[in-house]
Amino acid sequence: MSVGDGRRVLVVDDERPILRALSAALTARGYAPEVALTGAEALERAALDDPAAVILDLGLPDLDGIEVLRRIRGWSDVPVIVLTAEGAEDRKVKALDDGADDYVTKPFSTPELLARLGVALRHRPASGGAHDDPSGPGPVLEVGDVRVDIPHHVAEVAGRRLELTPKEFGLLALLARHAGRVLTHRMILQAVWGPEYGTESEYLRVYASQLRKKMAEDPARPRLVTEPGVGYRLIDRDTPTS
Amino acid sequence: MVRRPFGLLIGAALVVVCTLALVPVRDAVTVATPALVLVAPGIVAGLVGGRLDGVATAVLAALAFDIVFVEPYGSLDVHLVDDVVALVAFGAVALTVATLVALAADRRRSAEQRAEEILALSEDRERIHREQRRLVFEKTALEQADDARRALLRSVSHDLRTPLAAIRAITSDLRADADYDERTRHELLDVVGDEAERLDRLVANLLSLSRIEAGALVPDIQAVDLDELVTDRVRRLSRLLRDVTVATHLPPGLPLVDADYVLVDQVVTNLLENATRHTPPRSTIRIDARGGEGVVAVSISDEGPGVPPAERSLIFEPFRTGSSAQRSSGIGLAICRAVVEDLGGTISVGDAPAGGARFTFTLPIHRPTPLPGAGEVDEVAS
Repeated sequence: MSVGDGRRVLVVDDERPILRALSAALTARGYAPEVALTGAEALERAALDDPAAVILDLGLPDLDGIEVLRRIRGWSDVPVIVLTAEGAEDRKVKALDDGADDYVTKPFSTPELLARLGVALRHRPASGGAHDDPSGPGPVLEVGDVRVDIPHHVAEVAGRRLELTPKEFGLLALLARHAGRVLTHRMILQAVWGPEYGTESEYLRVYASQLRKKMAEDPARPRLVTEPGVGYRLIDRDTPTS
Repeated sequence: MVRRPFGLLIGAALVVVCTLALVPVRDAVTVATPALVLVAPGIVAGLVGGRLDGVATAVLAALAFDIVFVEPYGSLDVHLVDDVVALVAFGAVALTVATLVALAADRRRSAEQRAEEILALSEDRERIHREQRRLVFEKTALEQADDARRALLRSVSHDLRTPLAAIRAITSDLRADADYDERTRHELLDVVGDEAERLDRLVANLLSLSRIEAGALVPDIQAVDLDELVTDRVRRLSRLLRDVTVATHLPPGLPLVDADYVLVDQVVTNLLENATRHTPPRSTIRIDARGGEGVVAVSISDEGPGVPPAERSLIFEPFRTGSSAQRSSGIGLAICRAVVEDLGGTISVGDAPAGGARFTFTLPIHRPTPLPGAGEVDEVAS
């Protein structure tokens, strides 16, 4: 594929070894990496090169990474995956609430990062050909062996029908609509419970645990993954994303 | 008021004394003399004891006056109108004077007590203020120490994680059998090697830092050939230094120094790593040395932005990096200073002739150990 049709990825990190590693990994998978070492450089490249996705380290020497994200969001809804340090849950939540599509914690596994990048690119119709995307929004969503039929209000796991309350169904449907993506507590509460909610993450914990029970989740290989202190994501267990 | 019983006792004693003193002359004087004299015990009792003592003494004095000095002697009877008037007047005067005197004394005493209390209170307040100031000061010091510890943890974990992140990113991908050509694969493996070396240097610095902080840094002093040390270190850092030129100018015949080889090696490593971090690619790092008054000075110069004068004294503090520096744990230069000063030298930063920073450290020239019996001439620096 030629540069400019959605294979250009901007990588922003102040550490050259990381840039070298990611450039090589992206090139090997047919992407065209561009690199930036500072926040200012990142904003310039993001504006001039029109990348299909951005991988953004939040710890930059000149500008706060979240500020870079906000400025990019000021004119573009390009998918952004942020790289954060371990333990910075509040930063992850802030980045996601401020428009990041996903995050990966350093030190990260490159295949995992690339899987997240793939999910983020699929979720953007602008990146081309998303209408036949099986995980895109549609009346019937399938994520691995999880099937959510929204018009008929039916959810199945491995062919077994689940008896769900409306809120549990809403939670599963929301996560399935954004399969593979992390959704923060706030995003889920506002989508399922209503816009006046946002901080009641203990509700969510109760519902998520009930949903897990009904889905007969194996804690060692969950479909409904808890991102501690951040939110939840529903993954297809059979694709090697994590 | 603790003196109350004494007031009455003294008053009574005085009444007795005055009475006894005046008995021999009672027929030679008028009743006015004992009357005047016997007012005195009431005054004294009132002053010493208080109002009740004064009044009680005045009553005693009146009785004594009546019995001893008013005829007929030895009884309370009074016959003459003059004597009745004198007795009543005496009683009234003695009581009034004793009461007034006692009240004045009470007032003075309570005023003194209040003054003492006020003084004590203000001393208490002053002590509390001093204590408050001390606590605020201690709290600030603790907070600063806490901030420094947090800064250390943050920067060390950042520095440890950065090479680890690169290593993990590359190895996870090589294991996933990514489609790399041979050149890329080699390049990535080189990055893994470089980052592992960087971790190794950081761990060495952390170990030194903990030994320095624990006071457990005991230098193994020996004669060190700086030429040999610098040449060997530059060779070992060839991968770190591959994007720059290293120009080493150590004059032949440079004196040996008294130092710990391993520690000086760490100083040179940290200074070279610091130089590569700030000098642009394809520039030159210069290493020179010259012997001076009792010391050898070694300089390492880069072509980077240099260190502004205001930051020159701060840059050797732990966890400081120059404003233009990329973040690093900032312990490297702190270790350089701790080590060099421990070895009896100095370290400083200035401007390099070509622009950029020039770090210079000194070490004492080696003095041969005096042969046994050669006299008390040279004591070996330790």
